[in-house]
Amino acid sequence: MKNIIEIKNLHKIYATGIHAIKGVNLDVKEGEFLILLGLSGSGKSTFLRCLNRLIEPTSGDIHIDGEDVIDARGQKLRYIRRKVGMIFQQFNLIKNLSSLTNVLTGKLGYSSLLHSLTFPRQKNDIKIALKNLHRVGLRNYAENKIMNLSGGQQQRVSIARTLMQNPKVILADEPVASLDPATADSVMKYLGELNKKDKITIVCSLHFLSLARKYGSRVVGLKDGEIVFDGTPQEIDKKRFKEIYGEDAQEVEIR
Amino acid sequence: MKKENKLKLSLQAILTDLLFWIYIFGCISFLMDRWFEETIPGLNVVIYGTVATAIVIIFGISIGRKVFLPTKRTNKKWYKTFWGWSIVLILLITFIVGWLLVEVNLYKFFTKFRNAGGIMSGIFDPNFDILTMCLTALAETIYLALLATVFAIPFAFILSFFAARNLMPKTFIGNTVYIIIRTIATLFRSIEAIVWAIIFSVWVGIGPFAGMLALVIHSIAALTKLYSEQIENIDPGPVEAIKATGASTLQTWIFGVVPQIISPYLAFTIYRWDINVRMATIVGFVGGGGIGLLLLQQQQLLRWHNVGVIIWLIAAVVWIMDMVSAKVREKLQGK
Repeated sequence: MKNIIEIKNLHKIYATGIHAIKGVNLDVKEGEFLILLGLSGSGKSTFLRCLNRLIEPTSGDIHIDGEDVIDARGQKLRYIRRKVGMIFQQFNLIKNLSSLTNVLTGKLGYSSLLHSLTFPRQKNDIKIALKNLHRVGLRNYAENKIMNLSGGQQQRVSIARTLMQNPKVILADEPVASLDPATADSVMKYLGELNKKDKITIVCSLHFLSLARKYGSRVVGLKDGEIVFDGTPQEIDKKRFKEIYGEDAQEVEIR
Repeated sequence: MKKENKLKLSLQAILTDLLFWIYIFGCISFLMDRWFEETIPGLNVVIYGTVATAIVIIFGISIGRKVFLPTKRTNKKWYKTFWGWSIVLILLITFIVGWLLVEVNLYKFFTKFRNAGGIMSGIFDPNFDILTMCLTALAETIYLALLATVFAIPFAFILSFFAARNLMPKTFIGNTVYIIIRTIATLFRSIEAIVWAIIFSVWVGIGPFAGMLALVIHSIAALTKLYSEQIENIDPGPVEAIKATGASTLQTWIFGVVPQIISPYLAFTIYRWDINVRMATIVGFVGGGGIGLLLLQQQQLLRWHNVGVIIWLIAAVVWIMDMVSAKVREKLQGK
């Protein structure tokens, strides 16, 4: 399998002087379901946002699907970003618009300004959007406003939005951290399905080891902006767990 | 405390003391002029002030120090401290100077009520014969306010994006654009609509058009500020998500920002129309046309019964606008 993401010596130093990412080297193979573990503040969110340049890395080298992310400007950056879907802890949907409209925004990377302004009349786009809503089990909620949906439903809408991009990679920033355990598992199931059926590479930060074991094919532990563990989910025993989460941590089982 | 920080605070403290004492001596000079027809020359006021500042600093009883620098907490009552009495002194002297400057005259207030008899009787016995003329002028004012609001919307809408801190990139150009637009908006807003009306009544002639132009300028400035503050308060999440899909900057604004601001924008705009109706009346006084101009004319002709009708009409319109706009805003924000 070829590497779809190649990261070399990535650093991020914020203007405040905080050194969030300290020289991370990481290659992600095509089709992997990579779980990022680490405490809050360990640099997971910053790391994921550097990959599609929502946050500007300070130095280093990132290639996604053979494209140089760091040097990309304007159109080139848009072209890379649309291949990389992103899912957020707070869903980041526009709450006073319908599910359908929110899903359609996933197509913006492919659309000219004029095309995107006429979304309501683009039959083809709407057809694909409805198909993606159907995939996440929300076909009947297309016209519902986001604010009237539950947390789990909202996260599924955001998965449908990402699917509009035809992504090769999905970055998921704690996608289930604001959901209850049962809903969390059902959302992870959809991500697992995209990984298996659609062969989409997934990089997902999580807090729960049980979900990491269930869905992940590889686990990377991040601590203070450095990689402290890289292996299979099964390799994480008590000792490794304490390396990532610190001496005082106890593993909590969910479900 | 950091050294440079302490230096800055000390300077502020000294400056405060200087201003404090120069002001006190300035006031004393004014009072001496009023009461004894003898003034302290301006230069001497500054010299006395500086000397007083030096004295309070030497004795460690300065006001500036109390305000800007950390002092030991004591349980002394305020009236046992020097700074307590300094504040009493400045308040008292300011009040006396103010009383003299404003020419407060309670005798006139209580004994000359009869002078206002004409206008009072006009208000309680309005002359409804001129109602048609008044309604025409009133319509002029309301439409003037409406058009001013409508013309201001597109300009303020576009400007507000460039005056929003969170949308402008943190580069030299981004900062410059932000600062220029914010500064101009603040400047134009601080110039009263009445001043704009004077300028435009010379420019395009006395009449409602001049009034409208005055309100357009003022509304653009005010709405740009309100709108951009609304943009700064949006949830950054959706903007981030839409950027991540590969959308262009303009698409990010249209799909990530606009849906979040549309209903507060409507609420502000209706509120602005409400304000503009009120302002349009005042603007009419200085050549902006409409009901304000009519009021001015009738008042100068001393036709108090006509003035009475106009006052009632203005009150009614302002009251109705206020109620309607409050109701609409409630609906918009509740959504």
